[in-house]
Amino acid sequence: MLRKGITESFGAAIHALNSTQLTDGVIKRSKRMMLDTLGVGLLGTRTVVFNKALKYSQLFMSEERSSVWGKSDITLPPYYAAFVNGIAVHSMDFDDTWHPATHPSGAVLPALLALAETLPSQTSGLDLLLAFNVGIEVQGRLMRFSKEAYNIPERFHPPSVVGVMGSAAASAKLLGLSPAQCSHALAIAASSAGAPLANAATQTKPLHIGNAARRGLEAAQLAKMGLEGNPDILDLGRGFGVYYTDYSPSAMADSTSSDFKWILEDQDVAFKRIPAHLGMHWVVDAALAARAKLEDTAGNFDLSQIRHVTLRVPPSKYVDCPLPASEHQARHSFQFNACSALLDNKVTVSSFSEAQINRQALKELLSKVKVETPKGNQPSFDKMYCEVELQTYQGKSYVARCDTFYGHWRKPLSQEDLVEKFSVHASSVLCTEGVEGVIDVIGNIERVKECSVLGSYLRMTSNQHEQLYSSRNL
Amino acid sequence: MISTLQKIIRPVWAVRGLHKSAVEVLKHPAPEDTVTASFGKFISEVKPQHLSPMVLHRSKRMVLDSIGVGLIGSTTDVFELALQHCQHMYAPDDISSVYGRRGTRLSPTLAAFVNGVATHSMDFDDTWHPATHPSGAVLPAVLALSDMMPANSKPSGLDFLLAFNVGIEIQGRLMRFSNEAHNIPKRFHPPSVVGTMGSAAACARLLSLDHSQCSHALAIAASLSGAPMANAATQAKPLHIGNASRLGLEAALLASRGLEASPLVLDAVAGVAGFSAFYEDYVPQPIKSPSDDGHRFLLEEQDMGFKRFPAHLGMHWVADAAASVHKILVGFGPGTVHPDQVQDILLRVPKSKYINRPFPDSEHEARHSFQFNACSALLDGEVTVQSFTPAAIMRPDLLALLSRVRVEHPQDNPANFNRMYGEVQVSLVGGDILKGRCDTFYGHWRNPLTNESLRKKFRNNAGEVLPSEKVENLVDVVEELDRLGDCRDLLSQLQ
Repeated sequence: MLRKGITESFGAAIHALNSTQLTDGVIKRSKRMMLDTLGVGLLGTRTVVFNKALKYSQLFMSEERSSVWGKSDITLPPYYAAFVNGIAVHSMDFDDTWHPATHPSGAVLPALLALAETLPSQTSGLDLLLAFNVGIEVQGRLMRFSKEAYNIPERFHPPSVVGVMGSAAASAKLLGLSPAQCSHALAIAASSAGAPLANAATQTKPLHIGNAARRGLEAAQLAKMGLEGNPDILDLGRGFGVYYTDYSPSAMADSTSSDFKWILEDQDVAFKRIPAHLGMHWVVDAALAARAKLEDTAGNFDLSQIRHVTLRVPPSKYVDCPLPASEHQARHSFQFNACSALLDNKVTVSSFSEAQINRQALKELLSKVKVETPKGNQPSFDKMYCEVELQTYQGKSYVARCDTFYGHWRKPLSQEDLVEKFSVHASSVLCTEGVEGVIDVIGNIERVKECSVLGSYLRMTSNQHEQLYSSRNL
Repeated sequence: MISTLQKIIRPVWAVRGLHKSAVEVLKHPAPEDTVTASFGKFISEVKPQHLSPMVLHRSKRMVLDSIGVGLIGSTTDVFELALQHCQHMYAPDDISSVYGRRGTRLSPTLAAFVNGVATHSMDFDDTWHPATHPSGAVLPAVLALSDMMPANSKPSGLDFLLAFNVGIEIQGRLMRFSNEAHNIPKRFHPPSVVGTMGSAAACARLLSLDHSQCSHALAIAASLSGAPMANAATQAKPLHIGNASRLGLEAALLASRGLEASPLVLDAVAGVAGFSAFYEDYVPQPIKSPSDDGHRFLLEEQDMGFKRFPAHLGMHWVADAAASVHKILVGFGPGTVHPDQVQDILLRVPKSKYINRPFPDSEHEARHSFQFNACSALLDGEVTVQSFTPAAIMRPDLLALLSRVRVEHPQDNPANFNRMYGEVQVSLVGGDILKGRCDTFYGHWRNPLTNESLRKKFRNNAGEVLPSEKVENLVDVVEELDRLGDCRDLLSQLQ
């Protein structure tokens, strides 16, 4: 077999990449990602799925302990801290999305923070930032190995495929592993990759990110102890290639050059304004615009006027859910999100509560929805659009189309709006000092000497009564 | 009735853009009619009386063999590494025993992990058809979970055996959903795909979860399944079984706490892959209720293969073929075979990249090399545990023979453990050509190890780490397992 040295090049790159290669653009973008991830993670620590995972994780004991975000007096073994914090990040489908599609930050940041708390020597903010970017970069590189990755997924949930590799790479970086060990970390992580898409839109989906974070961390730890896997794991079709139907890997060159180009420089991430699958953002913006048109013409917005609602969306089975029965399904339903937008003139965190999902008015509106998948509307987050058409009983029709929602990489959230998103959500968990502390630390991360201060801010809760879950269940 | 209605409606959906209103609800089958639900029901409803004498007999043999290879596996480097990892990362937790290490206990999932690693560390564990290593994924989890259960409500031996069989049965059923599974694997390492599911099923059974929780345990496990073949023949391979065991246990524990996942994970849903993600072709079938007369455990129809030496199953064919040539050679002259006698060695074997290694570099590679195993057997007359030590791997005689090996892949030799054969053709310097062929090695399900042979293997393995008293106790306890009131008698002998 011809050794193409691709895996080797990745191992070398993870080892060699250094902070002088981080450009201003990359630093700025990755700090935004870190802040957003912490905000949605904190909010996520109040979800049912997070609490189930936390209770489970509290079965395990260890000497080294890492923080659980949003909990002032619970710590966990680092592996489980990465697990639950990762789950928190993805629990409401509120975390960042990249192109090709994955949720890159949730798989990496929880692992790094958990790991950093256990390292004997202080981890600087710059070390953290570099390791974070290594984890993101590796994911981006791996997704470019196949055409399949460019479209909305159908088989494996991308964070479960590339996320664990990113976490392994980032952890290996922070641990300072040798090039060979970095390669083996990737190989070991590959055997922990791959979760099927069917678990998206269920309570288990957040575990895909939690598992990616923890199993990537574990892979790096095992590699550090000398465990070896296949040194050509990325080169082989029967290696990492098993997760794709087309697979064409290439080496990571120039990792020591000052001209090294980070993918994040060219391709930004999208931040969500709604805790739902990315596709929902287009349909919501279109629905709001159509609603505004109707309201403008008719003078007021009256639901009973609406006869039909037609959604023109890309074909994607797992977000085509006409009558969602759970919050998880609701977050993955074009129909639900369009109707929520029409009904309430906004879609927010509270739109997905059980009460809101079961509203009679909403169900009635849902029964009037039909979905079309026009040719040319490609299932790709880079190319799709959504159109909403409202037809009234009077025979009038109001159409609006959204090509690029606010928050998409083509139309990024302003810094002000990003920080506002963080503040609003973090404040429901942390006290003001904690909220402002996190903003401050992340804002200046490249100058922070010791990033453990971040952990202490993440534990500054506003409510003493969150001790509800602190007792250990055996 | 609903299914008939679906048949009418389905063709109409092909035209997108039709008015889909409340009728949409009928597009999804009623919850009880899904393949996933049938599996959940089976696991929750199956009882000890559904185990036939044949299934009890065969599964007890599997339990014994699995413990034995797990015990000898506790002497390997990879096991040591995994154990140290668990002990460094986590505090001592006095719950579940570690094979062969007196006084060492770990959290249940970690014990399942290291014991699973031990079981597969030397590639010495059982193999089934369609191909997987079923017991190593299930037994460590069931043992660990039994240790976790309160002292006054430990499972009986029969409950234990039932859970074990559920774990095996589920794996067998899942593998029959695809043609791909019937051949030697190329993409995903089967234990990482079905093993995790089997472990989840077994643990769900032992925890007496209800049918819905059992389904969710399987679905959660699916998100923890899957590892690529490229890590086979490396030091990381044993972790596939270790992870299958621990993650399946974890899935069941999470399900017991109410975590929910896809209710359609085993069903085939176009555009959204569930368990089907791991296969190129996938046609799932519901599993019959155990109380119907219709259900038979697969182990009844398809027996297990046990290995006589610690290497990939395919090696056993060439080893037996080469051993017969050795016998002839030794019959000619002195008691050993010299490389100088040999001009050329031709192997006729199925095409399978990951077991075709002309010059293996490590013990892991040697266990996955037709060439290495043929030459070892040619030299020594047999392949044993000792054939894979560093000294044995580097023997000059062996290396000399290896350099004379050619490999052919005849059309009629498929990469399938049920139909393959191994042929070794040795051309001697003098001009004679000696041929050996093996269609069914001793230990294959068509030619199963006798109870004597199985126990001998167990005693050799277990004897490496346990005093003979415990070794004999284990033989007795496993033999009596279905009559044991309390499985603690088994749990206490493992270290």
